[in-house]
Amino acid sequence: MLIRVGSPESGELRRALSILRLSFVLMLFLVMASQFFVSATIAEVGEDEGASGLIDAEEKVLSAYLAVLEAEKTGANVSVLLVRLNEAGEFLARAHVEYRLGDFEEASHLADSSRNIGIEVLNAAIDLKDSASSEGIQHMLFMMIASVVGMASIALGSLWVWYFLKKRYGCGFSKAN
Amino acid sequence: MNVEVYRGWFIAGSLTLMLVAATPALTLFINMPSGSERFSELWLLGPDKKAEDYPFNVRANETYRVYVGVGNHLGYSAYYRVYVKFRNQTQPLPVASNATPSTLPELYEFDFFVMDSAVWETLLKFKILDVQRSNGFMILKSLSINEVTYLIDGFSAWDSVRNGFYYQLFFELSLYNMTSRRFGFHNRFVSIWLNATG
Repeated sequence: MLIRVGSPESGELRRALSILRLSFVLMLFLVMASQFFVSATIAEVGEDEGASGLIDAEEKVLSAYLAVLEAEKTGANVSVLLVRLNEAGEFLARAHVEYRLGDFEEASHLADSSRNIGIEVLNAAIDLKDSASSEGIQHMLFMMIASVVGMASIALGSLWVWYFLKKRYGCGFSKAN
Repeated sequence: MNVEVYRGWFIAGSLTLMLVAATPALTLFINMPSGSERFSELWLLGPDKKAEDYPFNVRANETYRVYVGVGNHLGYSAYYRVYVKFRNQTQPLPVASNATPSTLPELYEFDFFVMDSAVWETLLKFKILDVQRSNGFMILKSLSINEVTYLIDGFSAWDSVRNGFYYQLFFELSLYNMTSRRFGFHNRFVSIWLNATG
């Protein structure tokens, strides 16, 4: 088909071409914009995940620490648990550092390690507290019984000695001499 | 002399012995105050774990070592945090008088737990990575602490009194507060001065 400049057909074609061009530019813009938004969303999720992972790890480590303190109060030996907690603390500190530097993936990974140790220590501390409590009750009972028996023995012994002395020297030492 | 004369002494002696016998049970219910002061220690040692040979004249791409330590005398197992910060001569230090930490951002940190009457000590390695020197000033661009790299842009003007470009590496001690349920500055910090020589 021959197109002549200035004819009505060429005007329509020009309009169609301009619409096509506009659609192409719009599509290109949308594709580029969508890439920007997608990458921004991914980055934001990474940061959010890092932050929530850190908060979760902090809470678990704190719960474990408080459980260790409770176990310590009941008289349990918590030195082994503190060694494990220090490992959790090391991971947590590194997670904080990586998060501040913007490496959210590494921060999340380190926070997970810290959180897992925190949970392990929390459970161990609860068990240790329970066993230390029952041991403490046994110890307390033993001490109380020992004290009562000791006091009763001394009281009875004293009475016996007193009556013996009274019987022996009741009339006076001068007489005994 | 009648034995009845000694009745009072005998009863007192018997009661004393009974009290001694009751001591183990009494200690379960009576908590005697220890009387000792509750505090935490924070210290910094040189590369040989002695209070000497601290890094002072520092050059780029050389690794320096210090040991930071904490002693717990609080009467319970404590949860501590040490923040490592870096400043030039004009930037703020912590203020001991009103127990406020430095407003500078923390670079590195240590989280750890110390039993009562026990100590914690660790090695800290640092290295100046990139430095730019011009007439009368120096810009320390990046610093590595325990293999972690920080971009810092640490500007320092020439100190004509002490002849050098001075920076300070300092360590702030924080303690987890059981009442407020958060970390708070424990009002202790230690530092070393560094003269960047290029």
